[in-house]
Amino acid sequence: MGRIHLKDVRKDFGEMTVIPPLNLEIDDGEFVVFVGPSGCGKSTLLRLIAGLENTTSGAIEIDGKDATDLPPGKRGLAMVFQSYALYPHLSVAQNIAFPMRMAGLDKAEQARRIDNAARVLNLTDYLDRKPGQLSGGQRQRVAIGRAIVREPSAFLFDEPLSNLDAALRVGMRLEISELHKRLDTTMIYVTHDQVEAMTMADKIVVLNKGRIEQVGSPLELYDNPRNLFVAKFIGSPMMNIIEGEAASTQGAAALGVRPEHVTLSPDQGLWQGTVGVSEHLGSDTFIRVDVDGVPETMTVRAPGKVRLNYRDRVFVTPQEASMHRFDAEGLRVS
Amino acid sequence: MIDNSPEFRIKKAIGTTVMLLLVTFAALPTLWALLLAFRAPDAVFEPIWESPLKLTFDNFFNITRSDFPKALMNSFITAGLSTVFAMLVGVPAGFALAKSRVSGKFIASWILLLLRMAPPVGFVIPLFLLYVNAGLIDTYAGLVFAYMTLTLPLVTWSMWNSFSQVPDELIEAAIMDDASLTKAFLLIALPAARPGAVAAAILAFLVAWNDFFYSLIITRSDTTTAPVAVMNFISFDSVDWASIAVASIALTLPILPLMAIANRYIVQSLSGAVKG
Repeated sequence: MGRIHLKDVRKDFGEMTVIPPLNLEIDDGEFVVFVGPSGCGKSTLLRLIAGLENTTSGAIEIDGKDATDLPPGKRGLAMVFQSYALYPHLSVAQNIAFPMRMAGLDKAEQARRIDNAARVLNLTDYLDRKPGQLSGGQRQRVAIGRAIVREPSAFLFDEPLSNLDAALRVGMRLEISELHKRLDTTMIYVTHDQVEAMTMADKIVVLNKGRIEQVGSPLELYDNPRNLFVAKFIGSPMMNIIEGEAASTQGAAALGVRPEHVTLSPDQGLWQGTVGVSEHLGSDTFIRVDVDGVPETMTVRAPGKVRLNYRDRVFVTPQEASMHRFDAEGLRVS
Repeated sequence: MIDNSPEFRIKKAIGTTVMLLLVTFAALPTLWALLLAFRAPDAVFEPIWESPLKLTFDNFFNITRSDFPKALMNSFITAGLSTVFAMLVGVPAGFALAKSRVSGKFIASWILLLLRMAPPVGFVIPLFLLYVNAGLIDTYAGLVFAYMTLTLPLVTWSMWNSFSQVPDELIEAAIMDDASLTKAFLLIALPAARPGAVAAAILAFLVAWNDFFYSLIITRSDTTTAPVAVMNFISFDSVDWASIAVASIALTLPILPLMAIANRYIVQSLSGAVKG
């Protein structure tokens, strides 16, 4: 079980409203990612669910029961922190045992669960070490182990991978996704990295200034962003946003086209432009094009290797079916 | 980077010389006291090269027959107790100041600093008047309480600093793990701040141990501490320099191991021991 329901949850810090009243439903077993730029309130929202912050108003229900005023330890949730927050003076085994010690579980059961967690997380050889003797990835696994043994109704992850290097991050991303498949427990995951959000989530919650901009599956957000903010935030490289005259001829205040939905041609097309810098990734090439009369540089994704030279003149055509039109308020029109 | 240029070597040589001079200057009184402690009483004022072999252990035996050993014990008791009480109150206070979100911390920090910077004479006179009326003159309780005006702000202040270096997430993790605040403090925060706590305890002990002024005013004979007892070797018509030397050594020896431990922990607590 792990259904979490936020009802009109609001959080003020002093005079400042960090989270205006917000509603959100998280289903049992879902992998939900809170994503947004720094300062958007995603961590605060997670801490409200955890109980580390008190709500100013509104209610938090966990599995149908009101948990708004429950202390953090009694909510049946386990949290993994960005800094891992391992207890430096305790060994790996003692770290993992700590929540069970607090719960008063008997030693045999503790040992069984530590064994289990260590096996799942490849920590068996490190149980006697202190956190200071572990690598970043191992520390992260210990933190996850400490969460697993509680058998919580939901896991809360607060940017757990941002202290790891890029290669390790990809590995841990897969490990966490696999863990979710195996445990089938609700996970709420906070990140500012939209790639993590896209690859891991069942459901993404895009936050901006404490408000939910859009909730949906990764592909829903990618294909049908509800507004300019989501359109720009989801997807890498970023969606091309064209404003001004080029957009209004297409019947929108702002026009969005993803880099892969633009066709390049040497002799015909909608707009003409000059090739700028190209990025060759091997499988794809990202070509920057300065379209005449459009201030923003467009990014065009072409599969494979493309032979275009700096300063070449090209024609650029957005695919009609994949164009996103936004009105003056930044809301999606079509 | 290895710099072998002549200019750098000259600078280095000058630096080394200056440091050696300073060390010698600082160590000279101690060496002198050591020497005096082993000199026969009649040779105290003779130049060492005139009678280098007039050495004796008599000074040590003499001092055991004086009041000094008892004073040394008083020093241990009062410095020890005031340290223990200061830790019992100051460590939780430091934790609260470092981790609670109450406003007014700024004022608290000012009051603590003020207490630490105020001259002892500011406390001693009111304390003396109070003690005379309360019958606390020349009692352990009176002296221990007086020392706490020194040790408690010191412990609170330094533990505030130590606990500030313990990441909030560590305590939040413990609270998420269903530890009560007391358990989070005792089982997680305190061990994480252990180097700071050891350093604070040792510094508090040393402050009380080295005190002269409070003891001079508040004690009479029963609870006189060692630094004041040294004065008893200065009598109306003579000064027992040899005993004073022995007493100074006796006062210094017990704190040498403390200094060794303190040195390690102070460095640790300053460099932030809670990495990882």
